[in-house]
Amino acid sequence: MYTHQTPFLKKPPLLYRPQIAASSITAPLFNCRVSAGFPSPADDYIEQALDLNQLLIQKPAATFFVRAEGDSMIGAGIHSNDILVVDRSIEAVPNKVVICALNGELTVKRLVSKQGQLVLMAENPLYPDIPLHDDIDMTIWGVVTNVIHAL
Amino acid sequence: MGISQQRIALVDCNNFYASCERLFRPDLNNKPVIVLSNNDGCVVARSAEVKALGVKMAVPVHQIMPLVKQHNITLFSSNYTLYADLSSRVMSVLKDYAPQQEIYSIDEAFLDLTGACDKDPIAYGQQIKTAVVKQVGIPVCVGMAPTKTLAKLANYAAKRWHKTGGVVDLSCPVKRKKLMQQVPVKEVWGIGSRTSKKLNDLGVGSIWDLACLNESILNAQFSVVVARTVMELNGTPCLPLEYKAPDKQQIVCSRSFKKRLVTFDELMTALTQYASRAMEKLRKQNSVTELISISIRTGLFNPNEKQYQRSMSLSLSHPTQDTQRVIKTAKSLLKQIFKKGYDYQHAGVTLGQIRPANESVQTDLFSLQIHNTDTLKSEASKRTLMESVDKINQRFPKSIAFSTASLKQEWHYESRHLSPRYTTYWGDLKRVKCV
Repeated sequence: MYTHQTPFLKKPPLLYRPQIAASSITAPLFNCRVSAGFPSPADDYIEQALDLNQLLIQKPAATFFVRAEGDSMIGAGIHSNDILVVDRSIEAVPNKVVICALNGELTVKRLVSKQGQLVLMAENPLYPDIPLHDDIDMTIWGVVTNVIHAL
Repeated sequence: MGISQQRIALVDCNNFYASCERLFRPDLNNKPVIVLSNNDGCVVARSAEVKALGVKMAVPVHQIMPLVKQHNITLFSSNYTLYADLSSRVMSVLKDYAPQQEIYSIDEAFLDLTGACDKDPIAYGQQIKTAVVKQVGIPVCVGMAPTKTLAKLANYAAKRWHKTGGVVDLSCPVKRKKLMQQVPVKEVWGIGSRTSKKLNDLGVGSIWDLACLNESILNAQFSVVVARTVMELNGTPCLPLEYKAPDKQQIVCSRSFKKRLVTFDELMTALTQYASRAMEKLRKQNSVTELISISIRTGLFNPNEKQYQRSMSLSLSHPTQDTQRVIKTAKSLLKQIFKKGYDYQHAGVTLGQIRPANESVQTDLFSLQIHNTDTLKSEASKRTLMESVDKINQRFPKSIAFSTASLKQEWHYESRHLSPRYTTYWGDLKRVKCV
């Protein structure tokens, strides 16, 4: 309780009062409902839901999705119209399924080493191997890590 | 003058838009590629092959059509969806190499490499360069130096001289001097064409001349920006890295039309659309605007057309986030500058005096009473409405639009050479051959 009141410190006139901006409040979100009875014994074991991105993508910045077209990789489980998860950060070493730019077209092959010779191999006997000679216009675009196949 | 131990890198993507287009079109490697502006009007990006043909930036495409045909140049409309996605990937890879990063534009970032690679900066720069091109598929050059201005210069050298291997470090003052003596002053970051002409008139030709410019001349005849640039060229950092992109102080949305617009209603429909887009951007950075400008003009390149060009601004009594209010303002402005009898080719909306929404200051003392009651309440309810509109449009693009006149939008700008949104739309995924 104030004993004396200076007349000047009364409530300022409306005109001079600073405008109060709307503020935001953040509150923690609890995983469990508050129950009046016993707490759920599972509360301490709650984990995040399963996330397919986490399973399929190691490096988001380097991961691209592309769509397969054709049947040459059927033996690797790649069907026409499947979505391929491609990680460009992975080294293309023998036995990896790779996307390569072959004569200007993005193409899916398995990179293998046959008697010391690197070969682009299809996973379908109908398609011949392509040995990687110096005169072949080929660059590796990325490594296929997963196939998304709709049933 | 203190020489700092700071090491700043500027990583800049090579011909960024053209490189983005090529990533999914390996058939275009080593072939000439041009990316056109929003309305397919002008050249905004050129592959190295196109630069070698002498095509300049911002040239109207119709002027170079013979060259396009002759050299079989592939044209692309701007695919900003694709460029933005690949840009964020590049920036994300760069984060692995420096914790502190200033994203300077869609295709450049400054990195603070102080203490990160003192033993062999060139090797570190090569590592960055290799990682970006391998992981994202976009080629970059790296310039390193004690200041941002010198890092820009180092990058210029890395781009220009192939024997550098795309990486240049300018921490050595002797090397710096040698380079600065060779490069004309107009290439310095932050020196515009007018300033460089003024400098040329004073006998300042090379960057080295500028770095050695007499201090009294400098202070008497040039702005503080130029003085700061000179300090930076001499190795004293004056420009700190800005880690968080500053909010835009001005938001512009303007376009050219495919066909000329003639009537008031047609122009107003265009302005409505641009105002909506600009306000969406404004709300995204959670700001308010107080100054609305519009501009309209006829074509520039046809000498047979009657020319007319006007712009006009209006300061609002209090800041807003409300699209409808901006459209209303734009309409009242258009009424004042619109003239019949011209064929309009370009229009735009500019939002100025932008500031954060939560610090809206009162600008009109006499309207305060209203402020505190009705206006404020209606501003708040408008804000909620706008938020909902933005949310819906994010999920279902372009589903809600504001309208002033119901017109068929056949004037809409062209993108005849648009590539697919390879990385952001399931229906547009790149098809790879299993053959």
